[in-house]
Amino acid sequence: MQNSEVKIIHNKEVAPGYFLLGLSWTPKRVRPGQFVMLRVSDGLDPLLRRPFGIYRVMPGQRGVELLYQVVGKGTRILAAKRPGESLGVLGPLGNGFPKPGKGKKIIMAAGGMGIVPLYPLINELKDGLLLFGARGKAGTKVIKDFKKLKCRIRIATEDGSAGQAGLVTDLLREEVTPDAVVYACGPPGMLKAVSVIAEQADAPCWVSLERSMACGIGVCLGCAVKTRTHEEEAENRLYKMVCSDGPVFSSGDMDWDAI
Amino acid sequence: MTVDIAGIRLKNPVMTASGTFGYGLEFSPYTALDKLGAIIVKGLSLRPRPGNPGPRIVETPCGMLNAIGLQNAGVGTFIKEKLPLLRKIKTPVIANIFGENIADYAEAASMLDSVDGVAGLEVNISCPNVKHGGIVFGTDPNEAHRVVSAVRAATGLPVITKLSPNVTDIRVMVRAVEEAGTDAVSLINTIPGMVIDVEKRRPAIANRIGGLSGPAIRPIAVRMVWEAASVANTPLIGIGGITTARDALEFIMAGAAAVQVGTANFLDPDAAVKVAEGIRDYATKHKTSAAELTGAARR
Repeated sequence: MQNSEVKIIHNKEVAPGYFLLGLSWTPKRVRPGQFVMLRVSDGLDPLLRRPFGIYRVMPGQRGVELLYQVVGKGTRILAAKRPGESLGVLGPLGNGFPKPGKGKKIIMAAGGMGIVPLYPLINELKDGLLLFGARGKAGTKVIKDFKKLKCRIRIATEDGSAGQAGLVTDLLREEVTPDAVVYACGPPGMLKAVSVIAEQADAPCWVSLERSMACGIGVCLGCAVKTRTHEEEAENRLYKMVCSDGPVFSSGDMDWDAI
Repeated sequence: MTVDIAGIRLKNPVMTASGTFGYGLEFSPYTALDKLGAIIVKGLSLRPRPGNPGPRIVETPCGMLNAIGLQNAGVGTFIKEKLPLLRKIKTPVIANIFGENIADYAEAASMLDSVDGVAGLEVNISCPNVKHGGIVFGTDPNEAHRVVSAVRAATGLPVITKLSPNVTDIRVMVRAVEEAGTDAVSLINTIPGMVIDVEKRRPAIANRIGGLSGPAIRPIAVRMVWEAASVANTPLIGIGGITTARDALEFIMAGAAAVQVGTANFLDPDAAVKVAEGIRDYATKHKTSAAELTGAARR
């Protein structure tokens, strides 16, 4: 874990609204599913750092890449940054994905930008099936990079403009088996559905959650998610922090009605 | 740079504000805890509290709104699990306490009185988030007097009382808690606020109302320290949106003997140490000290 000012190597638009940011930053070890807190501005507005999943450790350990979509004030400021400029980076943070276990059928289910934390997992495991869901064809442009990876890919789009028409969860329902392990990241509604499908198939399921957070290190207690722990003596553990207990959780531990 | 607050000797006038620095230990990878004036830990209650449902925070212009709901593991767990580790740090640890009734405050104070490693207590009478909680104590001078008297009677430790800004006249509150025997006064806690998510057509945080913190509230906090200083007989600790040494100096010049850095710890885990170093640089450059600068703008 480090708190450092690092130089931008590149910040290029890889698909409309999607940027690949290369940072001259070489943490000792990055586990798939970990994230960083970026300070996009030295000013006071926006005030807080933003969490970004780590997309890739660049070849030759030159740095680390983040893939982001421009969605608000912070990412708009970030998109305007040029190579050579500096950013405050805190990380790598969070727990990351656990290993699948021998002989498991690996299924990764990504909704939209939910592919970001799954990319390094695919890269590490060099195996498995990626199910990718997007609204339409434009949203699938970011996965060009995945085609270099040794994994099978199935795509679903809501409007049917690429891959199968429907949701990523439809693909999961077709593919999931009891010997599978499911890794998922995407919008809360999708993750809830993934969790149900995996539970019905009796397959272990790991989800990476996203929440607004101020610190990234477990002290502001802002990114709380409710767990299924209800015992009286465990009352103070009812909530887990996405930043320091997660962002990866076993889907069975979560209270999905509250997420 | 040394300052004495309520009988606690600090190596510099910069503390970390409760609720923004965990139990201190979380920051050890990122900052030199030994370089802080004091660490004020996350608010402790007699019994553990799970906290509020999410969303608990939202960003605001130059600030943030939070309604964490005073989540904490309780005084007993703090003493058993955190304090042994905190004793190794050469910085005074101040325990922030709160309760839902006066007996709970007194019992929490008494539990912390009997253990090694706690340099003092900060009594939170001002948290705006919990129903039937601090707000009553923090806005009514008689209630504030009662709770501080009870804590005073329960402990021999230095007592700091943390005030809410949610009052018409802060001077009345300062007098009340001083009469009750507080050794110092810290101010301000967060200011109640609200953000509405216009897409969802409902408040952005689950608790609806949250506490506003960060640079946005600093001028209000400086003004309230200034007003408090006009009546205070005990040292004041200024809190509210400090991110730099210059911000801290505003509070000091308004009458604060020390300051707390809060929300800035989230932006930069090394922020409080940088503020302390910046105050030292200013004092060196101008051949003065934090103690001499206290109230400098009032003279």
